[in-house]
Amino acid sequence: MGGIVLIVLLEEILGFSLLDAGFWSRFGPALQRGFAGTLGYSGAIIPVGFAIGFFGGWARISRHRVLSWPVAAFVDLFRGIPPIVLIIFAFLFGPELLPQRGGGLAIGLNFAAFGLALHTAAYQTEIFRAGFQSVPRGQLEAAQAIGLSRWQTMGIVVLPQTFRLSLPALGNEFATVIKDTSLLGALGAIELFSSGQEFSALAPQTGLFGWVFAVWVVVSAVYFFLTFAVTRGLLAVERKYRVPGMEVSGL
Amino acid sequence: MSMIRVEDVHKHFGSLHVLKGITFGGAKGEVVVLVGPSGSGKSTLLRCINLLVWPDAGKVLLDGVQVNAPNIRPEWVRQQIGMVFQSFNLFTHLTALENVTLGLTKVRKMSPGEATARGLELLRRVGLAEKMNTYPAQLSGGQQQRVAIARAIAMNPKAVLFDEPTSALDPEYIKEVLDVMAVLARDGMTMIVVTHEMGFAKNVASRVLFMDGGVILEEGTPVEIFEHPREERTRAFMSKILE
Repeated sequence: MGGIVLIVLLEEILGFSLLDAGFWSRFGPALQRGFAGTLGYSGAIIPVGFAIGFFGGWARISRHRVLSWPVAAFVDLFRGIPPIVLIIFAFLFGPELLPQRGGGLAIGLNFAAFGLALHTAAYQTEIFRAGFQSVPRGQLEAAQAIGLSRWQTMGIVVLPQTFRLSLPALGNEFATVIKDTSLLGALGAIELFSSGQEFSALAPQTGLFGWVFAVWVVVSAVYFFLTFAVTRGLLAVERKYRVPGMEVSGL
Repeated sequence: MSMIRVEDVHKHFGSLHVLKGITFGGAKGEVVVLVGPSGSGKSTLLRCINLLVWPDAGKVLLDGVQVNAPNIRPEWVRQQIGMVFQSFNLFTHLTALENVTLGLTKVRKMSPGEATARGLELLRRVGLAEKMNTYPAQLSGGQQQRVAIARAIAMNPKAVLFDEPTSALDPEYIKEVLDVMAVLARDGMTMIVVTHEMGFAKNVASRVLFMDGGVILEEGTPVEIFEHPREERTRAFMSKILE
């Protein structure tokens, strides 16, 4: 609400209008492409990071060092490097790993996106590790004592609790991923941030300085809308499966 | 013949020799109470019986069948032996009824309708039928432990193991749990109980075993062990807990 008031106020002061048809005809197509790009990258990175993070978290609590130790090293490494540095590495040197070297911008960007997926996977590994470890050990013993197999214990007793306990932190992480896809724009990927950037850069030629502000307002609003939708969606899931005694304190 | 029999069982945890050749049995319908200082191996012994802990040496027999054998699945053994824990260990995300019926539906593959009917009957036996849809966190400690007992007897086990079932309870809830256990014993359940509740042991136990340092030091009726212990260490322990 406050945001809308602020925008209206700024519109008055800076003399631009978000309802201007000329603005949308110029910026609309780029915004659409950018939106599709951000959606596509987020839609690819989040599930990949989630899958790796889930199995990583599971391996992290394994009694077998062969499993837990490499995962611990992976987490430490990827958490300790800024995502922008990480994706530059992936972008520049990832394609070198391919049998046929090169392949241009698209291949490099795919590697960069995968780098971001590994980055969030490291964080999600920790989220799931905490989720797994929050299930009291006594319940595993009780599950075995009634005759459940290892896999049944995992599926019936551990995982339903792990997911419940991990949801709030996952919501945060997914929101971070959506915003971090903007880093790919810095490497030339077509997504929201780069659409805004492109429009701004052309302002000296087009003379549309008044609209630069409007463009960034729109870009921010779309990021906000995306993250808001994801976090609210997860909150709804959390509420649906809420169980007394398993509430996770707010973040 | 013993329903449960343990012969010369040994268990090491690293360099720690926790069980040093334990031999004892519990006949069908018998209630055997294990007492002894903490660290004496009582809990480990219970866990060796249902193979939550695998004995390093010796035999564990259930109804005459050696169960710590390579051709026997531990799950098969555990289905036939109920266990009640000190800290209840109910599944937090399941209701009281679901906790009780889980083994019936997932292990015995009983239909949901049948399992629910049986689960309700069990909850009624422990006086908690009206709590069927309640989650563990909304129950008192005593109620949680009664649900746990219903869960332990759901699959008609041949014996039930109790690992200090009242030690984590507030004093006001101890009686309701012991009462449920006493009824279970009267109905003929074979029970092996680790407890320091002397009243329960005196009224319900067929035999009492005193364990210390990984061995059974002496064995006898409740009166023999609690009031006329032969061993010096038993006497010292009893005088401590009776204070």
